[in-house]
Amino acid sequence: MTVTQKLKKGRLYFDGGMGTLLQEAGLKAGEYPENWNISHPEVIRNIHRAYLEAGSDIISANTFGANGLKFDNLDEIIGSALANARSAVDSFGEADKYVAFDMGPLGKMLEPIGELPFEKAVEIFAESVRLAVRYGADLIIIETMNDSYETKAAVLAAKENSDLPIFVTNVFDENRKLMTGASPKAMIAMLESLGVQAIGMNCSLGPRQMVEIAREYTEYSSLPVIVNPNAGLPRQVGGKTVFNVDSEEFSDCMREIASLGVCVLGGCCGTTPEYIRKTVEKTADISFIYPEKKNHTLVSSYTHAVEIGKRPILIGERINPTGKSKFKQALRDGNIQYIISEGIAQQEKGVHILDVNVGLPEIDEDKMLTDAVKELQAVLDLPLQLDSVKASSLEKAMRIYNGKPLINSVNGKQESMDEILPLAKKYGGTLIALTIDEKGIPDTAEGRLAIAKKILLECEKYGIDRKDVIVDPLAMTVSSDDNSGRITLDAIELIEKELGVHTSLGVSNISFGLPGRPAVNAAFMTMAMTKGLSCAIMNPYSAEMMQSYHTFLALNGLDKGCAEYIQFASTVAPAALTAASASPAAETVTQGSELKRSIIKGLKEQAYEAAKSMLKTMAPLDIINDEIVPALDTVGKRFEEKTMYLPQLLMSAEAASKAFDAVKSAMDTVGAAKGKILLATVKGDIHDIGKNIVRVLLENYGYDVVDLGRDVEPQSIVDAAREQKISLVGLSALMTTTVEAMEKTIKLLAETLPQVKTVVGGAVLTQEYADMIGATYYAKDAMETVRIAESLDLK
Amino acid sequence: MKDELRYFFRPGRDLLPDKSEALRYMGYRSGADNEAFERLYEECLGEFMAAASYKAVARPAHINKDGELLDFGFCRIENGNLAKNLTGCRVCWLFAATAGAGIDRLIRRYSVLSPAKAMIIDCIASSAVEVWCDEVCRELAHSSGACKPRFSPGYGGVSLDYQKGILAFLDAGRKLGLTLTDSLLMTPKKSVTAFVGIKDQTGIEEIE
Repeated sequence: MTVTQKLKKGRLYFDGGMGTLLQEAGLKAGEYPENWNISHPEVIRNIHRAYLEAGSDIISANTFGANGLKFDNLDEIIGSALANARSAVDSFGEADKYVAFDMGPLGKMLEPIGELPFEKAVEIFAESVRLAVRYGADLIIIETMNDSYETKAAVLAAKENSDLPIFVTNVFDENRKLMTGASPKAMIAMLESLGVQAIGMNCSLGPRQMVEIAREYTEYSSLPVIVNPNAGLPRQVGGKTVFNVDSEEFSDCMREIASLGVCVLGGCCGTTPEYIRKTVEKTADISFIYPEKKNHTLVSSYTHAVEIGKRPILIGERINPTGKSKFKQALRDGNIQYIISEGIAQQEKGVHILDVNVGLPEIDEDKMLTDAVKELQAVLDLPLQLDSVKASSLEKAMRIYNGKPLINSVNGKQESMDEILPLAKKYGGTLIALTIDEKGIPDTAEGRLAIAKKILLECEKYGIDRKDVIVDPLAMTVSSDDNSGRITLDAIELIEKELGVHTSLGVSNISFGLPGRPAVNAAFMTMAMTKGLSCAIMNPYSAEMMQSYHTFLALNGLDKGCAEYIQFASTVAPAALTAASASPAAETVTQGSELKRSIIKGLKEQAYEAAKSMLKTMAPLDIINDEIVPALDTVGKRFEEKTMYLPQLLMSAEAASKAFDAVKSAMDTVGAAKGKILLATVKGDIHDIGKNIVRVLLENYGYDVVDLGRDVEPQSIVDAAREQKISLVGLSALMTTTVEAMEKTIKLLAETLPQVKTVVGGAVLTQEYADMIGATYYAKDAMETVRIAESLDLK
Repeated sequence: MKDELRYFFRPGRDLLPDKSEALRYMGYRSGADNEAFERLYEECLGEFMAAASYKAVARPAHINKDGELLDFGFCRIENGNLAKNLTGCRVCWLFAATAGAGIDRLIRRYSVLSPAKAMIIDCIASSAVEVWCDEVCRELAHSSGACKPRFSPGYGGVSLDYQKGILAFLDAGRKLGLTLTDSLLMTPKKSVTAFVGIKDQTGIEEIE
């Protein structure tokens, strides 16, 4: 019987901790436990054997850290580890005992928080998985994962390199979140969708803290749930120490956890065969229940899951170049920051999911969509709806997405289903299914229902659950067909009723070609929600649509005490007031000083508005030369006189750059930059506050800054300086230990590019230091760097 | 004293970063009151406290001294500054503390949106992790008796090469999710490791 078959029949028990037992047997601090597979095989076998005798069904091979980053002799480590485990199982002699290949974190944090690229992580895991297969593991347990992204990398590696059952456990902390932020529901959504066989939690703080998390797992997961706690950690609060959990308390708690419907129990750090034996004994009389299928439609980001179907969900549609010339230009320029700003602005308006469409014929959409998704998920935590007509772009984005995405879209054409459904099966996700097929869009609700049915049937063939399909019955413009609104509304109702699936709609299409579109869109959205619409793809900047959404919730009993509506209304009213006061009539002759004042005070929005209204009476270049630059100079002088400090300097710089934005949009050509400057924080140093300030100031003064970031190798700095034809390099260091790296960088620059000048700064540096390490200039603060740059001809 | 790991945790909202320190990191001095800045600071502070999650682990280690060469069992360090810091100590605490990965994301988010906010949050975070270290050290002193000021690798000429051994000794990868980059810097970034000498007192200097 395989482990998955056995799991359907009854509760299974994992083993407990390995590290503590190895330390008792003489493993030294700092020594890799995995080496003992080779040097002390009998110790390892005895520990496995002791767990089998205590009642464990699954023993984890001693391979927690066995990966190519740590071991050169990986083949030998994994081979001997699995041989030790197998020999313990064989000598124990009972049938249906299983050897798990234990796969822990790589010890390197993945991007964007760390530096390890996602695909590199997949590759490292893959190497271990292939060896696990070769040496005969019965299953893979991916455990102690505290990052959802690394979890996904490990699962993909396991899926792509083996047919073994995959079990996954994550580490939740006191906040009931992974270290990188994922909630239990977010992990359930992603892992179920990736198609693993069992999921749960391990390590953490001990069994007591896991009860509530286990409850959430059993409530939402259709998969068997695993709970492998550690024996607690001595904790100290206010001088009082809370001690370890002993085997008695541990097993009592495991009994409670078993009664929640948890199917696999075991232990982690600090637990011993004694803990497992008592757990097995105390849970023997609790009846086993295999989890029933749950019907929650979830999508997730790296922090949280959004449940579709409980109340209408808003999907922001603004990351889409259609009809937006500025967006198109941003895409052509590879300007990801534009996309990020668009994403964050929509998040602030209150959408729950962001649609991401970056399709433009002249750009490499595969790369752009992947880049956009990576950058968006680095800075904002909303689930994403990956939107492309190209299957290859969707696939690449689905692969690197950190969570369970919405996939926009599949349709009733056989070709589309053949392309998209296998991808959804492999990478996981919830599908948007459009009711269009080879014959076009049916002009009846019944016709659209028929296509939805066809897509669901096809999904079944792939084992894609219908809870993971959201049907979009398509809104067609009402100005060209009087009935199109009616048909779509009927289709929403019919599809939900007949098929029991949720629906989604790109609402704004309905009003195309009509005047006063926002009002039409808002009314249509309310009507669609009344019919049961689950997701609206819409424009969150439209006050009418947001109003329609919030009033719908309040009037449908979905907004307790109308709290959200009141909150929404309070944010709308003051904005209207601001608009009134900022009207041209209210402005006076002091416009010029208004912009200057705003910049000096560091008021971004005011500076932007002031610059915009000045454009009515002044030439763009005059605004820059007579208003923005003098204001910046005032700020710079005050900073030098120490009547203004760094944060204010930065706030002013931001305000100035907002004003620039306003002015730039009115200019045909942007004035040529004053020259290029390269900035970097040297190797070994991550303190980049200072460097970032210098960058902002230089940019504001019109320089084109090449920022290599922090912790940069000397060679990379030299290479970039050569390629970009740089004549001034700014280096920053904060720690004493990194001044050496700075010296190395300067030396290498002097050897290879003697014409390049260097300016250094940072907390530990002084003029003397700078002279000693051979820097051309020393800048004591950001303004001085600007002055130095201005004294040179950098063009 | 038992040779065991001790674990510490505080939710982000339970610890107030030291504003005067944060301002000092920003290069801010008194007498430059500015309403717009104060508002922005409060806004940053609120977002920071929502994103922070403080954790730490500590474990005692014996020190065998031979002049400036210190043997901690799991690693040996030759450094005059550290030896001086640990003068008169036979046992010290090793600890690792972090303000959590949420801060890294928050700073990254604002380095795109608003360099001023990124800088203010960065400085708040730096001051906060020090406040957290102070609290952890107070707790440690509670159980071991008075301690020396903490001493971190990367300062005083103690190389970052020792980070690997320290994190392994503390099981900080598993317990806190701390990892090192190839150049031995910690992620999450707002993290600290340190030696804390225990002033010699009879009865507590033995580790079981």
